[in-house]
Amino acid sequence: MSRPHPGHKIRKAHSGIVLFILILLFSFGCVSSETKSSSIIAPTKPSPPKTTLPVFEFPVPQNAWEKNYLGVSGPGNFKVTQINSPVLIIEVFNMYCPHCQRSAPFVNDLFQTIQGRTDLKQKIKIIGIGIGNSPYEVDLFKNKYGIPFPLFPDQDSSISKMLRASSTPTFIGAKINRDGTAEQFYFKSGELTDAANFLSEILNLSGLKQEDKQ
Amino acid sequence: MSKGKYVLSLWLFSLLMVFLGTNNVYAQSSSFKDNIYPVGKLKPRDSVLTLKAGDKAPDFTLPAVDGGTITLSQYRGKKNVVISFVPAAWTPVCSDQWPGYNIAHDLFVKNDAVLLGITVDNIPTLYSWTKQMCNPGEKLWFPVLSDFYPHGAVASKYGVLRSNGVSERALFVIDKHGVIRHTDVHDINQRPPLDELATALEKLNQ
Repeated sequence: MSRPHPGHKIRKAHSGIVLFILILLFSFGCVSSETKSSSIIAPTKPSPPKTTLPVFEFPVPQNAWEKNYLGVSGPGNFKVTQINSPVLIIEVFNMYCPHCQRSAPFVNDLFQTIQGRTDLKQKIKIIGIGIGNSPYEVDLFKNKYGIPFPLFPDQDSSISKMLRASSTPTFIGAKINRDGTAEQFYFKSGELTDAANFLSEILNLSGLKQEDKQ
Repeated sequence: MSKGKYVLSLWLFSLLMVFLGTNNVYAQSSSFKDNIYPVGKLKPRDSVLTLKAGDKAPDFTLPAVDGGTITLSQYRGKKNVVISFVPAAWTPVCSDQWPGYNIAHDLFVKNDAVLLGITVDNIPTLYSWTKQMCNPGEKLWFPVLSDFYPHGAVASKYGVLRSNGVSERALFVIDKHGVIRHTDVHDINQRPPLDELATALEKLNQ
């Protein structure tokens, strides 16, 4: 019977360690890419268009006006693509973020401008998603700035992660298709300081401006 | 498995867990641009709290960013006090916790309370950092105090000084008699939900 080579045991131990280190390095790689996505990014240009908007759900609002605004009904949840508007603006905010606080009056202006235009009020709707915020914190933000459009808490940040909104505020523009899908045509992080300019960008990139001309 | 191999595996596994946990703060405000120092995942707690609800709050006097000093006992018989210790300026979580409190002024007024923000940083650092939390020309509505020298003396008195010289992320709610009514030494990596503080403040008036 041949005895195992004395180096055999050592080689076996080494291979275990090497495997562990490989797992470690692989995990480290994953983490560093995750960490990168969570670092502060403030793109100056909207991202290239035509990516599919992930479909996520929120509870149907209790408030009758909000239900009517979104065109959703019943108890339970609704899908974002069920919102009755061809264009949807999503603001990912955080009650604790100073730029979100500073942007709030401008986003309110944007909402009022859209609601004041009969050609747009049924074509563009706005919702806010409070990343890492509890319902209490979202309500505080809503009341503090008198925000008229629906806000939803995203306490575990899962929806914000799906949307890849790693910096606040982030503004996303999406076109909702009749087949229940939605296409993201706009993505920009950073403070909003000019509602008119922002609306103009949304009209251009969504194609609503061309529709008007036809 | 040999003892050495077992220990090595355990060590590598612990290291792996630490790296995997570095991404708990998902989004940061664009307000601070790229000026926030990434601290990674820290040990949730690294001190022993010696105070509890029902204890007399230790008195202290600290310099404020706006000039002058604040003494805790000056509020005795007049106001409830919330002390918010945050670990350090220019770090994640801390950089958005106080801006949140800054828009929650009504919550404190409603409960006849003042808020004192404390870190172990020096006054110039706190001045620059807290300026980023407000609109140009504005400032936080609550005093920000420096527990810089003797270093962390007040944090130490409250049992919330960590071994590396920063404080825990801790909240103390103190009533008008100077008695501690609520403590929350929070996981340093996470922001305490405002709901819990609101509940503690409302209990003061029951």
